[in-house]
Amino acid sequence: MRAKLAVYWTGSCGGCDVSFLELGPGLLDVLSQVEIVFWPALVDAKRQDLERLPPRSIDITLVNGVLRTEENAEMVALLREKSRFLGAYGACAHLGGVPALANQGNGILEAVFGPGFRPAPPFPEAPEDTPPDLLPEALPLDEVVPVDFVVPGCPPPAGLIARFFEAALSGGLQPGQVFAEEKALCEECPRVREERRISRVLRPHEVLPDPEKCLLDQGMVCLGPVTRGGCEASCPKAGMPCTGCLGPTPKAGDPALALLSALASLVRAGEEGEAAFPEENRILDGLVDPIGTLYKYAFAKYGRPLRRLARRREEVRA
Amino acid sequence: MPEIKPRIGVFVCHCGKNIAGTVDVAKLAEAASRFPGVVYATHYEYMCSDPGQALLKRAIREQRLTGVVVAACSPSMHEETFRRAAEEAGLNPYLLEVANIREQVSWVHSGPAATRKALQVTRAVVEKVQGNRPLRPAEIGVVRRALVVGGGIAGIQAALDIANAGFEVILVERSPSIGGHMAQLSETFPTLDCSQCILTPKMVEVARHPRIRILAYSEVEEVSGFVGNYRVRIRKKPTYVDPGKCNLCGECAKVCPVRVPNEFDRGLSLRAAIYIPFPQAVPSTYTLDEKNCLGLVPLRCGQCAEVCEAKAIDFDMHEEILEEEVGAIVLATGYELYPKEAMAEYGYGTVPDVIDGLEFERLLSASGPTRGEIRRPSDGKIPKEVVFIQCSGSRDPEHHKPYCSKICCMYTAKHALLYRHAVPDGQAYVFYIDIRAGGKDYEEFVNRAMEEERILYIRGKVAKVFREGEKVVVWGVDTLTGRRVEVRADLVVLAQAIVPSPGTEELARKLRVACGGEGFLKEAHPKLRPLEALTAGVFLAGAAQGPKDIPESVAQASGAAAKVVALLSQPKLEHAPEVAEVEEALCSGCGICAPQCPYGAITVDEVAHVNEILCEGCGTCVAACPSGALTFRNVEDEQILRMVRAALEVADVGV
Repeated sequence: MRAKLAVYWTGSCGGCDVSFLELGPGLLDVLSQVEIVFWPALVDAKRQDLERLPPRSIDITLVNGVLRTEENAEMVALLREKSRFLGAYGACAHLGGVPALANQGNGILEAVFGPGFRPAPPFPEAPEDTPPDLLPEALPLDEVVPVDFVVPGCPPPAGLIARFFEAALSGGLQPGQVFAEEKALCEECPRVREERRISRVLRPHEVLPDPEKCLLDQGMVCLGPVTRGGCEASCPKAGMPCTGCLGPTPKAGDPALALLSALASLVRAGEEGEAAFPEENRILDGLVDPIGTLYKYAFAKYGRPLRRLARRREEVRA
Repeated sequence: MPEIKPRIGVFVCHCGKNIAGTVDVAKLAEAASRFPGVVYATHYEYMCSDPGQALLKRAIREQRLTGVVVAACSPSMHEETFRRAAEEAGLNPYLLEVANIREQVSWVHSGPAATRKALQVTRAVVEKVQGNRPLRPAEIGVVRRALVVGGGIAGIQAALDIANAGFEVILVERSPSIGGHMAQLSETFPTLDCSQCILTPKMVEVARHPRIRILAYSEVEEVSGFVGNYRVRIRKKPTYVDPGKCNLCGECAKVCPVRVPNEFDRGLSLRAAIYIPFPQAVPSTYTLDEKNCLGLVPLRCGQCAEVCEAKAIDFDMHEEILEEEVGAIVLATGYELYPKEAMAEYGYGTVPDVIDGLEFERLLSASGPTRGEIRRPSDGKIPKEVVFIQCSGSRDPEHHKPYCSKICCMYTAKHALLYRHAVPDGQAYVFYIDIRAGGKDYEEFVNRAMEEERILYIRGKVAKVFREGEKVVVWGVDTLTGRRVEVRADLVVLAQAIVPSPGTEELARKLRVACGGEGFLKEAHPKLRPLEALTAGVFLAGAAQGPKDIPESVAQASGAAAKVVALLSQPKLEHAPEVAEVEEALCSGCGICAPQCPYGAITVDEVAHVNEILCEGCGTCVAACPSGALTFRNVEDEQILRMVRAALEVADVGV
């Protein structure tokens, strides 16, 4: 019997849906073993179709995208009810992803549209149909429904997708499983580390990196050391620092704090000691947009204390 | 593993009034009895006393405690005491923690806030101890051999003491002979013993001691390993003379065409390229100084070998690298004088008749360049007016060294006195800031110089020294009379500041030993651990640790030797198990941790490895580890979070 599969997107760029193509010919094997019961990107189906299904009738559901609207939350709750196994697919569902950087503050619309920005006045009469309300914050999947497993990545790399289907279609899904390595990316990165110290912090466009050496050693903020392996270090191999899409290693905790602490340990200007602090601070100031860099995917999941702190600060200021 | 319900005991110490005067100890104990996991809580006047420890032991047995918190003074004071007591009562000592409610609470707070903080601290530590695992100290063997670096009086004394206690010693000396600065001195204060006469018997003893191996003309190249198990690479420079064959006839030096300033005489005499620093040198042999020889490859001269009847000279001798294992290391690298070239106000060292204290020692020495007659360097005349300037470069934070060099008051008094003995019709002046003669019979010695020898002590600093014809003019101020003073002297002697000998910092780096701001080797604790470095198994002796006179250097050397002997006598060494630990399944080998370690305890191949013996448990690597693969035993993230939550919970309750 074919396994019943659902794939759904919430606040998503669509890349996750496309990522299945990365399996290449392997996709045909997968498709031959599943029955797609719900996959809006591929097959036309409406919410009502889903509602009509009996509970726990879908074997595997993959949700990609951040939860941004009330409708997103309702849909994943519905999917949870109808599914035996429900997993977060991709960085947005796993950690909040790039869209969750919107959680940085309420002033984001003003910041984007300038000081002239005003929300439109409400319609005089209630309209027939309105878009769903926004949730107060963009949320990762597991903050709304229990999640059984995670296929991480932005989008998930082919190897991990294959590994997931292999487990799922052989009945080997383990609760809480994350389809990536427990060891950090450095484990599979072919780059060579030499001197573990940073004397400058550079953004990718500011440097043509040495093809052999560790990017962190060259001053690029590579999240490899805090990020799960599993992608075969495809970005570092191509000269781009890891941005952390597979999520932090199991014991890293908040990946931004973990890497910040590592950066602060590695930065060195001359002889160790207090005399070097101003220069070392200046080097660390080279880290432009620390939230966007260090929390690129994980801000919804881990940035909450920071957001609480920012709110507290605003309150104090007010 | 079955989940064992925690049974924690809390013991609140009054520390007399130290804690109980500020913290409501009864209330603290009562509140602690209701903390989650706590089955027993009490308070007692002095937990560290015998009855206090007995109370602890009894409760551990009777209450079948699985963990203990003693709320008392800093763990650096009595953690050991309480842990030993716990162990005696059958509890793993690492399941006992101390909550510091004295240094961090009662001594720094007052009022009800103090009790509240004591509660928070105790509550947090109760949480911590529930996450503790029982640990066992690591054990290592000991290599029963010591290395002494530096062959001055401190190194000699340390080597002799260790060797006489039955252990092998390797004594490394950079120059061709041991003896150090003491061998250069004329006579020693305050007794006026001849320095060489009291030193050379010790040198001879070192030379013929069956358990001491002297490696002269050698330097420590690299040190690895750890307490009890150091590996040392020593570079032995070629002397080109076989010490076993050299019979000290001296013919080689006579025919050698080279003449260079003699270091032993501080440049006041000349020596050949093949030389013996002084007749009683140990090892007793000539040394061919490669740098000043006309040329060895290809051989340019070779006259020395031609005249050597003993056939001791071997131009093919090579540098040797020796690898030795030792259990302990004594650093006795001594001092050097702050260069007189740095003294702008005293002529930058360009005036020939302005000399430093050690040069004057050589002039006074019977074996010196003038055979003990005081003759000034410029024209060999006997100086009739000599000015001694104390604190030259010392106690001058703006221009030179901020510290007191400690020995100059005494040796200047000795210099002036010996000068007066040698030149009875000469006049000696001493410029001083104040006289520091704090040693046995020292004050009496200075008084003798001032009163019996009619040496003119002028309290004031010298502003300028310059040459005028045959004279050296000294401008200063007598601050007691407020008058300006000008002395037209024949010779000026500068009591230059004492600085660490060159290379001290480099050697310290090799051993991961700290140097203070002025470059002297730093002791582990200025009062309670003055003989040892913070790096376990490394000990300090003599002026390398700070300016010292001979008796103090000898005392410290004997002290350090006693420490070494105590270390080498232990059947096994134990090391606290509360160190960093790598969870290898999580480590990607990124290597960020390794350079953070101040003790060199981390090596990285596929994964990081912590050497348990080298790790001192500072936790720096744990903070740096991005993936969370490094943890600190019994201070794991989960424990810290539990502690923080618990402490804040108490705050919320608002006791």
